[in-house]
Amino acid sequence: MLKMENVSKIYRTNLIETHALRKVDLSIGDGEFVSVTGPSGSGKTTFLNLAGLLETFEEGDFYLDGKNVKGLNDDQLSELRNEKIGFIFQSFNLLPDLPLFDNIDVPLRYRGLKAKDRKERIENALETVGLSSRAQHLPTQLSGGQQQRVAIARAIAGNPRFLLADEPTGNLDSLMAQQVMDLLEKINEQGTTIIMVTHDDQLARRAHRNIQIFDGQVSELDQESSDVLVKAS
Amino acid sequence: MLTYNIKLAINSLNERLGLTILMILAIGTGLGLFMTMNTMAHQTSKVPLKHISQKLFMVQLDNRELSADDITLQQDMISMTYQDVQNLYAQQTPAQAQTYAWNSSGVVNIQNSNIKPFRASLSATTHDFFEMFEAPFLYGSGWSAQADQNGLANIVLTKKTNNMLFGGENSVGKTVRIGTDELVVIGVLDDWFLSAKFYDGSFYTAFPDHAFIPSRFAFNANFPRQAYFNCPSDEKSPGRFGASNLAELKTSECGWISFWARINSTIGVDEYKDTLSQYVVQQKQLGRFPRAENNFLTNINEQAEQILGGDQWLNILKIVGALFFIVCLINAISILLAKFMRRVKEVSLRRALGAKRKTLMQQYIIEVCMIGSVGGVVGVAFAFIGLEIMMQFQLYGVDYVILRSELEPYYKMDWPMIGTTFLIALISSLIVGLYPIWRICTITPASQLKAQ
Repeated sequence: MLKMENVSKIYRTNLIETHALRKVDLSIGDGEFVSVTGPSGSGKTTFLNLAGLLETFEEGDFYLDGKNVKGLNDDQLSELRNEKIGFIFQSFNLLPDLPLFDNIDVPLRYRGLKAKDRKERIENALETVGLSSRAQHLPTQLSGGQQQRVAIARAIAGNPRFLLADEPTGNLDSLMAQQVMDLLEKINEQGTTIIMVTHDDQLARRAHRNIQIFDGQVSELDQESSDVLVKAS
Repeated sequence: MLTYNIKLAINSLNERLGLTILMILAIGTGLGLFMTMNTMAHQTSKVPLKHISQKLFMVQLDNRELSADDITLQQDMISMTYQDVQNLYAQQTPAQAQTYAWNSSGVVNIQNSNIKPFRASLSATTHDFFEMFEAPFLYGSGWSAQADQNGLANIVLTKKTNNMLFGGENSVGKTVRIGTDELVVIGVLDDWFLSAKFYDGSFYTAFPDHAFIPSRFAFNANFPRQAYFNCPSDEKSPGRFGASNLAELKTSECGWISFWARINSTIGVDEYKDTLSQYVVQQKQLGRFPRAENNFLTNINEQAEQILGGDQWLNILKIVGALFFIVCLINAISILLAKFMRRVKEVSLRRALGAKRKTLMQQYIIEVCMIGSVGGVVGVAFAFIGLEIMMQFQLYGVDYVILRSELEPYYKMDWPMIGTTFLIALISSLIVGLYPIWRICTITPASQLKAQ
């Protein structure tokens, strides 16, 4: 379970203060598939970064799997991130000089798992995304959709409780986007909570819940409103 | 995790090999020059006979006239007069041994031989010299006290001279001609690297003596006295003592001979000082030593510190080497920073995937240490080349009249120096890496993940 209470994030420079998130109150239960929408610059990515413990926040409390992350040091945050969270990025963020196997291996290495265990997990993850035969290929030898599937494999190899996806289909054509969404739904069905930032309302509708962020404030859209939005668009 | 980080570090070094090589060269070149200069300075400033250097004292007495300048530094004080040397040497003192030495030279030849005559530098001394200064013998030994007293025509050759004259064979008992005198070889020294010719007080390097002869014999045979004669102002043309006027020199107040005492204990030193004071008082009664008592009893360590510590040329060499090394290190920092900052996105991703800051730091420290180690090897190689070049300059500078083997010890890196080079390479590479590592490891995990 992910719970935010009055969480605010402010970016400060010498001249300006930008309120990226304002007093966010939010609770996401286990196994949910939540889409996060909103216009550019509204704070979607900041929200995802906070949820993924990639950034700290100024005010409020944030509970991840029942643990308040406020006040945890950098090492503790890294450990928690490694164990509980998987990331999927719009630009895949694979390491270009490593084969797929080694790319998926990265978070498992930092968890300190034994070689045999890591191998098993990597093979399972590759099988899940349908790329078992490409384990020794380099990312550049794959299509965009395949690369994103590798990124998904890397995210799920460590069996995380949460999968955070930032525009996972943003760089893909519609067919590949559908394939990736199918894969995410399949993963969600197996119990992984997914939070997905997207600009695509069609994809957002496939989630169980839709959260909208506007000017740093979070509001919840019910499914009907989402439908209206989709029709209007 | 260590193995993984070593693997990542190696991958990273290979990844941009050009930059890696450039960085290794920057460290290696700087270190090479730095160590070239420091090796020369280190070898030249080595204290001779270090294991006994604190027990070997040069003796100097201030017999100068009243109008002479005050002297507080040992190195400014004049050498000893002939009469004081003879008096002190003959006297019973608390010293374990005493000797004296003065520089001479002569054209050396051997009979019935094809060896070309050559001008040899000689030290005229006493039999105590060899034992006091622990001179190693290859053949034979030093001459006896008897030989000193009787002024026998004995000679001790250095290994180099023996090689030149007798092809390295045992030449004990054979004769050597110096000018018109025939001297019997009584001993041949083995390799004897002193790093500095301390026994005449000069601390000069690279011009070792060819042979040693008994002082009395050298006087009797009127061997040239190659010394600077420090004489009272009323002394006319002191330079004349170099080749003639021996009888006058024996009673003159001109200082020109180095006098040495080996004193093994601190109490002995105090007692010896008392002896010197008593001697000066006694001489004052005879109308000598017009100035206030100002005796110097300085061991080799103290002399080396005064003479070599203040060697401006060596200090300049060291400073130039250090400055060049610093410039190279600054270059290496920029290269390393450029190399590391190209990996910002990767680091950001690794942090997002759970890498702790200290884990990444370990990876980059390993990489920097690898660069440092290879830089150390390159540095040692460059230092060897640099030392060879400097030695060739020196050989050329003295018209190749000295042998390469004589100069080599001054231009040679010993194991401690090589070890020090590696240590410096490692430490300096860590210093070089400090800022780039800090920059790369303090990147916010989220900062680059959105970038295309």
